[in-house]
Amino acid sequence: MITPDLSWFLILPLLGLGLVCLTPAEETCRIRKISNITILIPFILSVWVYAAYDHSLGGFQFLVNIPWVAPLGISYHLGVDGINSLLLLLVGAASFAASLISSSIKTRVKEYYILLLITVISTYGAFLSLDIFFFYFFHEIAAVPVFLMINIWGSARREYAAMKLTLFLVAGAALALIGLIALYLNTGIQSFDLVQIQRELAIHPIPMAIQNWIFVLIVLGFGITVTLWPFYTWATVGYSEAPTAISMLHAGVLKKMGAYAILRFALVLMPQAAHAWMPIIAALAIFNILYCGFVAFTQRDLKYVLSYSSCSHMGYILLGLACFNVIGLNGVVYLMFAHGIMAALIFAITGYVEEQTKTRNLDELGGLLKVMPFIGTCFMMVAFASAGVPGFGNFVAEILVLLGAWDHYHFLTILAVFGLVVTAIYLLKAIRLGFQGPLKPEFQKLTDTTTLAAKFPYVMLMALLILVGCLPTVILSHIDSSTRTIAAIIK
Amino acid sequence: MFPVVNWSLISLETIIGLVLVCLIIVDIILPKNTSKDWIGHLSFVALSFLIIFWITQSSLSGTTFNGMFVMDQLAWFFKAFFLVAMVFVFAMTREYFKTLGERRNEFYFLLWLALLGMCLVASSADFLLMFIAIETLTISLYVMTAYLKTDKLSIEAGMKYLILGALSSGFLLYGISFLYGSTNTTNFALIKAFANTNAMSSVTLFALVMIFAAVGFKIGAVPFHMWVADVYQGAPTPVTALLSVGSKAAGFIFLMRLFFGVIPAWHMQWGMTLAVLSAITMTLGNLVAMYQTNIKRLFGYSSIAHAGYLLMGAAAGTVLGATGINFYLLGYLFTNLAAFLVIIVFSGIEKTDDIADYAGLVKRSPLLGITMILSLVSLAGIPPLAGFFGKFTLLMAVVKSGYVWLALIAAVNIVISTYYYLVVAKRIYVDEPRISTPLTIPTEIRLLLVMAILGIILIGIFQGPFFDVAMNAAKAL
Repeated sequence: MITPDLSWFLILPLLGLGLVCLTPAEETCRIRKISNITILIPFILSVWVYAAYDHSLGGFQFLVNIPWVAPLGISYHLGVDGINSLLLLLVGAASFAASLISSSIKTRVKEYYILLLITVISTYGAFLSLDIFFFYFFHEIAAVPVFLMINIWGSARREYAAMKLTLFLVAGAALALIGLIALYLNTGIQSFDLVQIQRELAIHPIPMAIQNWIFVLIVLGFGITVTLWPFYTWATVGYSEAPTAISMLHAGVLKKMGAYAILRFALVLMPQAAHAWMPIIAALAIFNILYCGFVAFTQRDLKYVLSYSSCSHMGYILLGLACFNVIGLNGVVYLMFAHGIMAALIFAITGYVEEQTKTRNLDELGGLLKVMPFIGTCFMMVAFASAGVPGFGNFVAEILVLLGAWDHYHFLTILAVFGLVVTAIYLLKAIRLGFQGPLKPEFQKLTDTTTLAAKFPYVMLMALLILVGCLPTVILSHIDSSTRTIAAIIK
Repeated sequence: MFPVVNWSLISLETIIGLVLVCLIIVDIILPKNTSKDWIGHLSFVALSFLIIFWITQSSLSGTTFNGMFVMDQLAWFFKAFFLVAMVFVFAMTREYFKTLGERRNEFYFLLWLALLGMCLVASSADFLLMFIAIETLTISLYVMTAYLKTDKLSIEAGMKYLILGALSSGFLLYGISFLYGSTNTTNFALIKAFANTNAMSSVTLFALVMIFAAVGFKIGAVPFHMWVADVYQGAPTPVTALLSVGSKAAGFIFLMRLFFGVIPAWHMQWGMTLAVLSAITMTLGNLVAMYQTNIKRLFGYSSIAHAGYLLMGAAAGTVLGATGINFYLLGYLFTNLAAFLVIIVFSGIEKTDDIADYAGLVKRSPLLGITMILSLVSLAGIPPLAGFFGKFTLLMAVVKSGYVWLALIAAVNIVISTYYYLVVAKRIYVDEPRISTPLTIPTEIRLLLVMAILGIILIGIFQGPFFDVAMNAAKAL
């Protein structure tokens, strides 16, 4: 069977980047086409990789390995297992949808797509890398494009939001970098290769005293990226002020890099320290779920509601990471995917609403379902998904996390269940204020998405969300062998 | 007895000397009021040949002049470094003096003299030669700093630099004479041999502290940094560029020869002292840089901060640390020179160095704007640009040597520096320009800007070959 070469995930958007750079800025139509196509093909590839991955065999497959900086043991090492092949699919779907809905961008189009393509390269690279150095390298690339995009195409408080988001993320990354370097130095094998390090540390774990502080650096550093309470404040303002595509990609995908890094580098490589520290993370995760949930309830700005909601849901991912069992880990990976799709979709819808109504204040909105039946229905469905209604991916994922968490934390799990109630409350409130009730006269003339092409990104994401909600085995059987391996290591 | 001299080892310095003499002769022959920039053209040609010549000489090694002059991989690396830096500085000079015109030729001679001094620094294996080389470099820099006779700031900068520089030279000589008194030699290798058999005396310690003060002045480390901002701001911009890259690199060569070559023989624990100095230097540089409104001053303080990062490598005291210094300087060369190239073109047209006036630069000239943004981002140490891997190597070196606290302070500093670099980047990329007339850039500068961008990106992505070169140079110590 022909297997895909993973480098194409990076080469194609890079090619698109080159082509966009060469196209004159006036030809916006062609620029959009180039970007859409060079983001679509990796998406198709990701479906192919997902299908071609042999989960009965498990382990990392489709490896590409080129020595890069030999004296330090850095290599360009790409490969996927069940977990990151699923996340590739998430990147593919979210980035394609983000590129499609970017058609509403009218100013500085060329620069917009250049920055978007760099962000896409960064996310693919991070999830593909099996080399710790390259993971970090790719993960950091997104920092500047996101900063510039929020600054140019963001809403009212964009300057503050962009700077806050970037500084928090850079601070987290710098902490994590020191942790990763210390980890590398303490393995004693002069290699950044994840596979080799994993093998080495399984036999000779790092002494507990050293593990302890390295673990804290990495989890704190990447914890900022996954909006670990109380380091979430950058995300709420950042997502709210960002242009739609960046909110979609950041809340949907970029944020997940932090959870992915904690799973891959902290839990798997330092399981002893994980057992000491993760209960604390689990407790903080409850603050994420409940505190951010309650704050979301008090917000009047729709995008702020969703940003807080996104931080609140990260609590389930963090809680799942603290479970140390297969169910919990399956839940985490599942939730990374389901929440990613859900977040991308809900931010896309909000972006559309804001663009039409020129406001996101829930008090000023109302009755939009009458003029936008399609968008309104999508919003209601995705809100149900977010609140954990069965039939959508999030339900399966959150149930798995809660089941996994019950093993270790009875009390915290009970609290976490209430998170679902809180989510339902604030989202129902958003639906009631925004989409139901009397229609404001100034919104009489608004239009729904009319063409099929305009509806496509929403339909695609919604279909994925329902698919994984109704057929959980599509994902569970795929990731099971990989999560089982990890669970065996961190038991 | 006159020592046997191996001329092939000092070929580069000899040629540079000859070029300088030839250029002076040409200047005498040329008609007085020719408007064409002959010396500049000839300098470029000579420099290009020198670079090609120098690439073929990469295997040169040995010592001559009774061990005073050493040719090793470190010397080769830094001479290549200085030659490339000079290409940029010459281009900047041409651009800069387009508006000034007069007394341009003498400036070129001084640049060649500075290049000679820097190349000699790279090869010095003796305190006396090191002193002479550094003075050759510094004296030409004094003159160039105060070159704008009618500009108050330039005169002030020159005066400040001269007085403090002379003081530091005094320290250096004082230290060297004490060192000679206690070890009976000024040669690095002989001092090393002496140190292996004799313990450190208090006189030697005093001498080394004096010498370190002089080095600290050159690299702009706290507490010898007071001159940096004023001189950077007041000096003609090509000189600022040369100071920030060439002069700093020269200081670090001296530092490396000292702390990796000579001093370890005494088995002294300098690491902690250097680590503390590094932490203070980077923190002070970054904190003060945040409040600057003049772009040259901003780069002045940022260069103090970068001296602090570079000192991390010296504090680590390992091959990895020295490799980090070399690699970092290589990235810094392209990054900083690109930025100064933009500053020169911009201030040549707009006659201002205010950061506020850079608003919307990317709209007025995409190339200038993008170059500046890339160099700022690279200085902040964000991948995939050159500055990232340098910082990465240095952080690794200090963590490996056990200074995790220093790495954490560096992390805080990275965040602070990201802030002020991004403020400028935002101004250039996002804000609306006050005047929207497009800026025209000469082709020659355009070419160099593209070269610098390529340098920044290639070093940042294909780190391997550059790392190998930097490591070979570090192993020579």
